[in-house]
Amino acid sequence: MSDTSVAAPARATGLAANGQLILLGLLVLLVIGFSLGSAQFFSAENLVAILRQCALVLIVAAGMTLLLISAEVDLSVGASLAFSGCVAMDVTNKTGNFALGAAAGIAFGGLVGVFNGVVVTRLRVNSLIATIATLMILQGGVYLYTREAVQNRHQLPSFTTLSTGYVGPVPIPVILATIVCILAWIVLSRTVAGRSIYAVGANATAARLAGLRPERLRFTLFVLTGLLTGLAGLILASLMNAGQPTAGRGFELTVVAAVILGGTSLSGGRGTILGTILGVLVLKVIDNGIIILRWNQDLQMVVPGVVIILATWLDQVRRRGDGH
Amino acid sequence: MDTDAMTLAPALEMTGIGKRFPGVVALEDVGLRLEPGRVHALMGENGAGKSTLIKILAGVYLPDEGTIRIGGEEVALQSPRDALARGVKVVFQEIALIDEFTVAENLFLGEYPVGPGGSIRWRQIEDEARALFDRVGFAVDPRAKVRDLPVSQQQMVEIARALAKDARIVVMDEPSSSLTPAEVEQLFAVIRRLTGLGIAVLYVSHKLDEIFAIADTVTVLRDGRHVSTKPKAEHTEDSLIHDMIGRKIEALYPRTRGHVPGEIMLSVEDLETATGLRDIAFTARAGEVVGFFGLMGAGRTELAKAIVGFDRIRAGRIEIDGTPLSPHDTATGVRLGIGLLSEDRKREGLMLDLEVTANASLASLPKWAKGPFIDGRRERAAVQDYVDRFRIRTPGLDQPIKLLSGGNQQKVLVSRWLLKGLKVIVVDEPTRGIDVGAKAEIFALIDQLASQGLAVVMMTSEMPELLGLSDRIMVMAGGRITAELDAATATQEEILNAAIL
Repeated sequence: MSDTSVAAPARATGLAANGQLILLGLLVLLVIGFSLGSAQFFSAENLVAILRQCALVLIVAAGMTLLLISAEVDLSVGASLAFSGCVAMDVTNKTGNFALGAAAGIAFGGLVGVFNGVVVTRLRVNSLIATIATLMILQGGVYLYTREAVQNRHQLPSFTTLSTGYVGPVPIPVILATIVCILAWIVLSRTVAGRSIYAVGANATAARLAGLRPERLRFTLFVLTGLLTGLAGLILASLMNAGQPTAGRGFELTVVAAVILGGTSLSGGRGTILGTILGVLVLKVIDNGIIILRWNQDLQMVVPGVVIILATWLDQVRRRGDGH
Repeated sequence: MDTDAMTLAPALEMTGIGKRFPGVVALEDVGLRLEPGRVHALMGENGAGKSTLIKILAGVYLPDEGTIRIGGEEVALQSPRDALARGVKVVFQEIALIDEFTVAENLFLGEYPVGPGGSIRWRQIEDEARALFDRVGFAVDPRAKVRDLPVSQQQMVEIARALAKDARIVVMDEPSSSLTPAEVEQLFAVIRRLTGLGIAVLYVSHKLDEIFAIADTVTVLRDGRHVSTKPKAEHTEDSLIHDMIGRKIEALYPRTRGHVPGEIMLSVEDLETATGLRDIAFTARAGEVVGFFGLMGAGRTELAKAIVGFDRIRAGRIEIDGTPLSPHDTATGVRLGIGLLSEDRKREGLMLDLEVTANASLASLPKWAKGPFIDGRRERAAVQDYVDRFRIRTPGLDQPIKLLSGGNQQKVLVSRWLLKGLKVIVVDEPTRGIDVGAKAEIFALIDQLASQGLAVVMMTSEMPELLGLSDRIMVMAGGRITAELDAATATQEEILNAAIL
């Protein structure tokens, strides 16, 4: 009658699932293709290797997913990753205590998050600009802190075990990443906080009028992303057995690319952890396949670039097909 | 006997127009006949097919069937350019001017007169713009940047742009939606000048008072079909509404609430803001509707935003049920029980991509929480309860809210506040962009809110709504309250006089 909207069945959740199906299909195709190309690809060792490579990105990408859903972004994670790795190694060297070193590295990442949060939510600088500035500050700052790599002088076994150890057949970083992802998934899908994140990203003014505090929430998410970056930096330092000031260049792009590939909207309000996991897997499988097939390694940057454009375009085509 | 009709061929004759979109019949066998020098109103609710018909006339859509004659000659309008060349000018509702350009530049955009060497004759453009404004009676400086003009004047420029070329048929799509009453008068004067020049005007609107003021003939569409075409004189408000919604509305402004209001729920004293409010003081009691009227720029929306804690205040005191709104923010406001139903649903109310449930429960999330977790079942049950109670038309709770009609979206937003439980609700232009049929439901809802014991503060620029719903009327002008009137005895003149103080 008068005000019936011409409407198809519900698709708020179906939509996300649909996009993930495309990604899953892409992943399967990639795995089949690479397996046909090289027997080495489809092996237990290589699978574990891929997961290990995913872990670092995934830990940060989980935080970035929350941040992007709230309609903010953090491009300083690459620089912060390297810096917090150096801090973790340095403090462990000086104290001879792994726990203190780890805490220092993670805390450093958290502090970067606090800084970003203050600049974005208090000074109201656009987060894209603010965090590029932070990236520059950190990239220069790390050289003021240390000219060259911070070597491992403490030789604590626990420090290296963090990245090389296993629980059963599963590498410890993969376990950490899994825990982070499960927590992020629970937050997003089950909690008041998660709902608030979607709401703030979908319409911050509406959220504020409904009594939420968008600034406070976004600040928290910057700190969270910072802490997770600190954790990833610590693992990276353990993996390289050194704090590398040059590490992490371009890391922020991989993270953001994976999250967006996973269906999270740059304009906020939409996204899932499952999508992010798939996005990371797709990018890392491509990485790994290129190496195993001994293709030109520069393709490691080119191919994901093309994939991101394709995936985003497909997503838009699908949305248009939905009739709005 | 048909000599008149012979000599005066209709300016436009559309017959048997049909248009289908995948899955939807937008128009079926619709006819429309415009006479030169006459104003023809086209009415209908959202989805009735008005926009589709206009777009066919503008050359944006091609009809699947039917014929179009302009000045007696059958034409095929293949593109907007075609339509323009035939003298059909459409003024769409959305303003599509380039902000950074001057008024004159916008008027002649894309068709600048060019001098030797390709240089644009700016002087000529300005002169022509001035001449055009003189002809239609606008007071707009052609050299002003569009950005610096108020929306109402931008709309005038938009209309003038359609007239810059020779027009035989002018279509106006909801032209008054952002105009003040005085500007609407000006618009009508322009329309009379146009008809005086023999131009046929198609006036699309859902505002009944405007239709009765300006139209000669009224055509009503419903669900893509032609319902009636009659001279205005044969219509009453009731008959028009009946044609539009296909049923009778019993009472546009029902009243179930009592006449004796309760305790003071909202008290505002000496309020002053950077947005221009001065010396604002009033109270609102439980069970009463306090209506604020004012022309554009009077400060209604500013007041709404300030008292719910959204905009900062410079001075003053706001108390919700005796508790001061301090700190002055919306989180505190919502906790104390005051909330705003914004005039701008899309930008300030809805989360368009999210589903009905998330939109409805936004203000009451803590209620559905067990520790940090949301009890989704209780939440959905509560939302479903309101969907049933308010008869919100949606295929389900998971429907993205952007697919609902304006009226249903508004009901979801009202549910948002009722789920939270408020003492004071501030409603700003509650029926903006809402169909006539759904309007009555929103009015009933506002009455219900008051009868449930809420204090309702209503900001409106619609006189009938103000008089029909309020218990007390506050008139604003220039950021101040200029009159306080009893709605039972207030007259339209009294109110307007106070509004233009």
